[in-house]
Formats: sequence, structure tokens, C-alpha cells
Amino acid sequence: MMARRVSGAGTASRAAGERLVAHVLLACTVVAVVTLAAVLAVLVREAGMFFADVSPWRFLTEITWAPAAAEPRFGVLPLLVGTAQIGVGAAVFALPAGLMTAVYLHQYAGSRTARLLSGVTALMAGVPTVVYGLFALHFVTPALRVLWPGVEAFNALSACLVVGLMILPTVTVLSREALDSVPPPLLDAGLALGAPKGRVVTRVLLPAASGGILAAVLIAMARAVGETMIVSLAAGNEARLTWSPFEGLQTLSAFLTQLGMGDAATGTREFQAFFAVGAVLFVGTYGIHMAGRMLVSRSVGRAGQ
Amino acid sequence: MSSPAAPTDAPVLTAERLSVRFGRRVALRDISLAIPRGRIVSIIGPSGCGKTTLLRCFNRMNELASGARTSGTVHFAGMDLYGPDIDPVEVRRRIGMVFQQTTPFPKSVFDNIAFGPRASGFTGDLQGLVEEVLTSVGLWSEVADDLDTPALELSAGQKQRLCIARTLALKPDVLLLDEPTSALDPEATARIESIIRALSPRYTIVIATYNRWQAARLSDLTAFLDRGELLEYGLTETLFTNPREARTESYLTGRTQ
Repeated sequence: MMARRVSGAGTASRAAGERLVAHVLLACTVVAVVTLAAVLAVLVREAGMFFADVSPWRFLTEITWAPAAAEPRFGVLPLLVGTAQIGVGAAVFALPAGLMTAVYLHQYAGSRTARLLSGVTALMAGVPTVVYGLFALHFVTPALRVLWPGVEAFNALSACLVVGLMILPTVTVLSREALDSVPPPLLDAGLALGAPKGRVVTRVLLPAASGGILAAVLIAMARAVGETMIVSLAAGNEARLTWSPFEGLQTLSAFLTQLGMGDAATGTREFQAFFAVGAVLFVGTYGIHMAGRMLVSRSVGRAGQ
Repeated sequence: MSSPAAPTDAPVLTAERLSVRFGRRVALRDISLAIPRGRIVSIIGPSGCGKTTLLRCFNRMNELASGARTSGTVHFAGMDLYGPDIDPVEVRRRIGMVFQQTTPFPKSVFDNIAFGPRASGFTGDLQGLVEEVLTSVGLWSEVADDLDTPALELSAGQKQRLCIARTLALKPDVLLLDEPTSALDPEATARIESIIRALSPRYTIVIATYNRWQAARLSDLTAFLDRGELLEYGLTETLFTNPREARTESYLTGRTQ
């Protein structure tokens, strides 16, 4: 606020008006900060009560997750593995497609094609995830079952493919930013050394942008890990410890949607388990996202040399 | 336009009625000049006069800019550079270019030098080639022990010398230098200038520079461009001491810019 302050003489009533505006703006900021603090406080309190009961060691090493069972089990591994499967699987599909799209837009497309494709990319980013989820369930999974009859009705592969589709715009847009940050004279220098364009792209452009591209993938993975709707619809919502892409799975975030079903009574250990999982998810996605942001700022700094 | 005096030695590069437009803007108008083999030729003139564009016509880098249209001809060692069966990639291997901004690739010193030879399928002694070209820019003694150093860690002057060495690794006939010292301090500039002098008998060198004193110090011949036109071209000494055109004189004496 200090930097924005405009000094100007005015009547008393105008000064009062200015103060009111400043207070309203401050109030809006406070809402955001207080909300974040409240969310963190609830997470920490409930998760803390959970871990007072269930040791973090058991939480991280036991292989069965069955919080609602008659004899509840709180091994979070199946959820962690499921989450990693979705995050990595989605990136495996989105990275090549997104990166190649970015290189095409940056180096090969005419300006009209580039504008058109950028529009399509933006449109993809605007599709609600529940629509992607239905697409996975009613189109992708049946198609996969034609190819491999062993694929279960709820399976990880379908979820990975469609979550990959969902994060594709993120990968494309951020990769393109990384490519844009490479100084054009560097590419000229490659061409002036008698290298064909394809070689300049693979040996100069991509290595020079690699930090930013890695960051793009990490930020997109953070989104994939946080995704609930597509995963719930396509991969079912059953915690199983398996690496098979043909079987269903449950992720941390998809498990959290079950709290809304209202089966867990407030104050029970089952109820607190949701917050423990929420804390793990929060720390994980925040960590991945921050690592990505750090790489972005580092690579931008380097390119500016 | 007045036809500038043609130099006497056998030309290696010859432009005839060369014009370049970017969209509707004319960047070069009707340029005719010959670059004699083994000499250093400076192209001087106020910023925006077309120095860089002219240089980039000589290795067909200009056509990479969007909207660039070139007319007229450029002959290199007797062949039409813009002919239908000429591969620009091949042209750039024989006519090297160094840029105003230093452009080391984010690779090791060795891999920077090896980039061009590898791209053109070089199968000889790469190690020996790297040593040879680094020596000719005075960099070998400074980096010999650590060719794996990332090139981005060199000083600005070292980076530019690396870029010159990288171009030499292709054994080109001609070196095009686009304001190669404008981003460097005086000491590094002097170093680059002495390298250019040392390279001069073996390579034909065309240097675009905004620094008229650099042109006077270095070159055998100087061309003065103004607003896309070649106003005067001749022996550097003559052009600096006894310019034919009033505009050349006022530029050289700093009365206009």
C-alpha cells in the first residue's frame, strides 16, 4: 500500500472516501490470509489428534488403508502409490505431447496457426474436470477394454490418460514460456554454424530451456496429484496397493472426497484420518509446486545472462 | 546511385543490386559491392543503416527473419548464393558468423567448439581441431585443463573468443562479424581486434561496426552505409582521410548521427 499511495490535496469528505476504500481493500486481503490460516489450523489440529493416536510410522508403512472397517487400518501407502501412479502416469502422456506442441508453436507454426492452436489450448483448460471424468469413464475405458479385455471397469490407465489430457495445456503453455526465454541469437548462432534447424532445436533450444521445461512438468504434476473428479470417476475409489495400470486405485485427493459422503462422525479417528491425508496432500503438492516455481525463476535468471 | 570504386583483388563475395525489404520497409537499396579475398572489410554507418542486414545476406541468415524479401544477387566464389540448388545450411558452413551478443551454448567449452563439426558430420581428430581453434583465439592456454567447464562460466571476452573459435572450427572461407565487440570492455575489445588481425591473411573478414575507429584500426576497405544505401566504398585510408561524399565526412567527423 505504501508504494501505491498517491498524495493529493482534497476535501475532507474525499479523504474520508479514500480511507474507506483503503479499509475495504485491506479487509479483502485479510479474508484471504485468515482463510488460509484457518485451513492450516484445522488441518494441523485434526491431523495432530490423529497422529497422537496412530503413530506416523504405522501410518507411512502399513499397507492397508481401511479407515471405515470394523477393525480400521490406517496404512497410507496404497493412497501414496495411487497418487504417484496418477502423477507420473499423467506426466508420461502430457510431457511428450505438450512439449512437442510447444516446440511446434514456437518454431514451426505460422502466426495464424499458432493463434488458433493457442485458442484451442485455452479452451481445453476451460473444460470442467467432471466432463473429462465422464469422457474417461464412457469413452476411454471402453476403448481400452477393446484393446485389452483384462482392463477393469475402473482402472488407473484411463485416469492417467485423461488427467494427462487435463494437464496438457499447462505443460504446453509453461514449456512455451520456457522456450520463449531462450535468447533468439542463441538459435541464430546454431543455424550460422551450419546446423539444420532440427538439430538446433534438439541440441540448443531444448537444453537451454530444460530448467523451465522441468518446472512446467512439476507444476503440471502438482495439478494432476490434486485432481479428484477424473480419478474418482475413472479409477474407482477403492484403496488397493497395486502398480497395475489395468486395476482401479484411490489417490489421496480422491479419498478426501469421501468425507463429503458424511459417513464419518466428527471427532472419530476415521474423521481425523481425512485431515491427516489432507495434510500429506497439502505438503506434497505444495512441495512439488514450489520446486517447479524455483526452477522457473532459476532458468529465467540464467537465460537473461 | 554512384558506383563505388571496386577493389582490385579477386572478389570472394560480390553483391549486385542487392535490396532487402521487411514488409514495406526497405532495409537495403540496390547495394553493389565486392569483398576481396583475404582482406578485412568494415561496414560502418549509423544504427539502423542496414549493416547487420547486409552481413546476414552474405550467409543467408536474413531469410530467417519473418517478412524478409531479398532481390538482386550475391555471388560467392563464382556461384549464385541465392540460386535454386544452393543449400543455405551448406552456405553457412563456408561463411561463418559471430554475433553482437555473445552466444555460447549451455554446454561445455569442448562441446561448443565441436557443435559445428559434429553437425556437418566431421569424422577427423576432434580433439586436435578443438585445440587448434582455441589456440588461434588465445583461449587454449586459459581453458586447456578444463575443457568440460560450462561455457556460460567464462568471462564475456572469453565467451566471444569462444564464439569466434567455434566458427573457425568449420574451416570457413569467410568470417562475418556483427559488431563483435560492442558488448565488451576496452581490454577484451583490444584482444578481439588483435585476433581479427591475426586471422586476416587466412580468412576473408567482413565486420559490421558502429565504432568508426575500430574500422579505421582494423580494415583494409571500408563501406559506408546510410539509410540502406551504400554511399561510399573504398580503401579505408582514403575513405577516412579524403571522403568523396559530404555525408560520409560528416558521419566520420561526428557532426551527424
